[in-house]
Amino acid sequence: MRLRSRTWLVTMTAAIALMSTACAGQGQGGGDAGGSGGPVTLKFWNGFTGPDRAAVEGIVSKFNSSQDKVKIEMEIMPWDVFFDKLLPSLGSGTGPDIAAMDTAQIPQYAARNVFQPLDDLYGPQGIDENVLVRSAVDATVFKGKRYGVPMNFTTLKLYWNKDMFREAGLDPDKPPADWDEFGDYARKLTKDTDGDGKPEQYGLAIADHATIAMWPILFWQNGGGVVSEDGRTAMLDDPATIEAARHWAGLITKDKIAPVGLSGADADKLFQSKKAAMEIVGPWMTTGFEQAGIDFGIAMPPAGPKARVTLGTSVAFTLSSRATGQKKQAARDFFAYWNSKESQAYWSANSGFPPNRTDLTADELKGNPYSALFGQDADKSRFYLAGVQEFQKVNETLFEPALQRVLNGKGDIEQVFGQADKEIQAVLDNAQ
Amino acid sequence: MPQDNRALRLTWRLLTAATGLAIALAMLFPLVWMVATSFKPEPEIVSFPPRLLPETFTLDNYIGVWERLPFTRLFLNTVVFAGAVTVCSLLLDSMTAYALARLRFRGKGAVFVLVLVLLMVPFQVTLIPLYDLLAGLGWINTFQGLIVPRLTNAFGIFFLRQFLLSIPRDLEDAARVDGASEWRIYWRIVMPLAVPALLTLGLFHFMYNWNDLLWPLIISQDTSRQTLPAGLALFMGQHVVEYGPLMAASVLTLLPVVVFFIIIQRRFVAGVATTGIR
Amino acid sequence: MTTSVPAAGGAPRRRPGSAGRRQARAAWLFMLPTMAVLGVFVVWPMLQALYLSFTDYEVFTPARWIGLENYRALLSDPAFGNALVNTLYYAAVTTPVSVALALGLALLLNRRMPLRGFVRTAVFVPVVISLAVVAIAWSFLLDPNIGLLSHWLSQIGIVSEQGWLRDPSLAMPAVMIVGIWKNVGFYMVMYLAGLQSIPTALYEAARVDGAGPWPRFRRITWPLLANQTMLIVILAAIATLQAFDQIFVMTHGGPFFRTETLVMMTYRIGFKEFQFGYAAAISWALVLLIFVLSMLQVAYFRKRSVTY
Repeated sequence: MRLRSRTWLVTMTAAIALMSTACAGQGQGGGDAGGSGGPVTLKFWNGFTGPDRAAVEGIVSKFNSSQDKVKIEMEIMPWDVFFDKLLPSLGSGTGPDIAAMDTAQIPQYAARNVFQPLDDLYGPQGIDENVLVRSAVDATVFKGKRYGVPMNFTTLKLYWNKDMFREAGLDPDKPPADWDEFGDYARKLTKDTDGDGKPEQYGLAIADHATIAMWPILFWQNGGGVVSEDGRTAMLDDPATIEAARHWAGLITKDKIAPVGLSGADADKLFQSKKAAMEIVGPWMTTGFEQAGIDFGIAMPPAGPKARVTLGTSVAFTLSSRATGQKKQAARDFFAYWNSKESQAYWSANSGFPPNRTDLTADELKGNPYSALFGQDADKSRFYLAGVQEFQKVNETLFEPALQRVLNGKGDIEQVFGQADKEIQAVLDNAQ
Repeated sequence: MPQDNRALRLTWRLLTAATGLAIALAMLFPLVWMVATSFKPEPEIVSFPPRLLPETFTLDNYIGVWERLPFTRLFLNTVVFAGAVTVCSLLLDSMTAYALARLRFRGKGAVFVLVLVLLMVPFQVTLIPLYDLLAGLGWINTFQGLIVPRLTNAFGIFFLRQFLLSIPRDLEDAARVDGASEWRIYWRIVMPLAVPALLTLGLFHFMYNWNDLLWPLIISQDTSRQTLPAGLALFMGQHVVEYGPLMAASVLTLLPVVVFFIIIQRRFVAGVATTGIR
Repeated sequence: MTTSVPAAGGAPRRRPGSAGRRQARAAWLFMLPTMAVLGVFVVWPMLQALYLSFTDYEVFTPARWIGLENYRALLSDPAFGNALVNTLYYAAVTTPVSVALALGLALLLNRRMPLRGFVRTAVFVPVVISLAVVAIAWSFLLDPNIGLLSHWLSQIGIVSEQGWLRDPSLAMPAVMIVGIWKNVGFYMVMYLAGLQSIPTALYEAARVDGAGPWPRFRRITWPLLANQTMLIVILAAIATLQAFDQIFVMTHGGPFFRTETLVMMTYRIGFKEFQFGYAAAISWALVLLIFVLSMLQVAYFRKRSVTY
């Protein structure tokens, strides 16, 4: 008996030890991979979990099979998981070599030297910036250096539900052209059928947190903004910003053209489930809306009093500061392959995004009708908080809560935005 | 004083039964809804007015999960992680609890206070330093990285100590007089008496680790080491939330713990009830 | 009969006179594996976090000692004040409500009744399942447009125009309800265990004396459950002060930080804004808060405890 209990303990210990050693060696250290023989392996993380996932996987596997010097090991995860994992892993050197992220997120990491400047990857031998969408390349700049290479680029467009337009007596092929029409249509498309004060159908779905920038577009259209274009001055207390916010907040709180408190995903879902007639969003939703059987149109968002402008947005490849030497060369090969004519034609055909290159002909782009649509008016697009070091603080900690306060009627716009303006300015000054 | 009135007693019985049933249904409602929703086609899930039960019954959501998630792999990873942690933690927790509850030594009070303090520290505090430590050991994305930091647990020590304090000392004192070693007393006398408490704690450890999200999510880097909840988190895209497959995957994630609980529940409730956490 | 063998973990019996020292040695050997694991993987990272709370560590950059600066900043940070108030509000509501409900359920389910086993199981099932997973279901149920629960509530006249989770004044109650739903079964089982340990003779004696149900509860059940109540209240308070999972999934601290608890704030400051030193300081403030509140509770219950 005694023996049995001891044997058990020994077996246990042995089992644990075995299990531990069996899995040892699987742990992957960061830093340079060995220089001798075999392909250079690059860990690549991104958040393309949506319908564009297949297109990303397609290009990566083509790249891997096109040559035997570089091997990309890709992990795709939702963006929030991506950022949660990125922080501890980059901090300890077990993170990815290449991380793709929205260009607005890059400066937070670049400022802390986690990523390396990639200016030397550009040029005739490497990545030719002259054929790429200018604003997408510029959006990777932080303190005068380029920290990224474009992975995708798009503008946001207005989606409208044609069936709902018909039902409301509007011309289904004529989207609103200016703010007056925009507000007017939204009111007509809002319906409270059971009269309980809560509409069953909304004219507009517009997100106020955890979203791609939607509200800033409205500010820009009126000559305002969250921060100035050079990223140095907070603009929330600018009269143009306040006027735009008051106008749309009024339509939302009084006429109930849109629900308050939507996240980006909520807004998408609202349009997708036919409970909202219009939304300003990117090409990644086309697949979902088609699958939901929605007959929708896509156009440039209605022009504002001061400007006809929309959001331009881009995800860029970044390279860990630890990836030097061979790894950096390998990364350049991959980035160049990604932005080659062939890959970009494949990308736009399969994702609905416009290509990163400006030299593809209409014929090369006819594979996907949305591709060309979202590429239009790229010159009238503007990047949100480009080059601002602390995107997270400015956007999620300061701007979005202030906007939500206003929409919930907790305080007067001038006062709430004025306060947020001061705090944003302090963050901007602190980063200089 | 109520009279011995049959009608009154029957009414009372019915009333308590109805109350009990209402409580049970209210508690189970979100789960029932999840299961029902996992069998609905996507358009029905987002339709208005919402209904509890599916009008058309479909298995598509489960098929979709099966196709998109390496379910068997994730399941096995979770079993290895939660299983190894549970078994090892029961051993280590009970050894420490035995020392704290049954043996006399200097510094006992200090050790117990340390355990209590550890009980109060939110896990998020240590996450980054712990990650750096594991990265230094090369243990990121390994089973030992997942398991070893969880091999013992302040709550388990606390729980078992409280239980062991309530066991009479006669048997082990007799054994000590007979010259039995402490290990023998622990293993042959005290542990068999502690089986109900060990089962209860075993369930807690198992469910806690089975359900844990943040830790396996951060430590694993690919599907070879992901657990089910971590895999599920990766399933929720930011722009596409398909509720049907999400609910199907959730049901599949929750099912094993619920089944495990129902299997051991008699012994579990007995474990808490006869001896339990006093 | 039993020949003593130096067993693993035990000490060889060489000096029978020094039984005390032998026990002490055995005790430390028993605790050795635990101490090693806790020391390396829990206490050491904790001490590092403590050290970092006195620095300006930002995860990627080397830590620089700044003394009490983080703690001083806490005192004047309105976000910290807000999270502290939210945490205390959450704990002050959910702790007593959970404990009272658990006691009520335990009293109900301790008597003979039809379906008793089923109801007990149903109340306990939320305890064993993942809060992060069911919180997704809860968010969906509370969705103002397609949520079943908000639909049913609206039919009995409880209309939330924005939806529970998006309404600044309803989001906190919503996450509280989910927190209570999740944990009440655990505390109920603990109370059941306590109830079953009360000798029935006490009740019979009281009945002979003509005491009704309320006096019986007041004079027998409640005082004899005092130890249980203390343990449950302390465990519940520790758990609620660390509320995170359902808030993370359902509201993410919003709308505009109305549901941001201290642990949520730690996550935001540390993981989203990279100010890990400051996040560590917030955590240590929380540990201090939990410690002080637990000690106060112990002192309070000690003073009132009755033993029969």
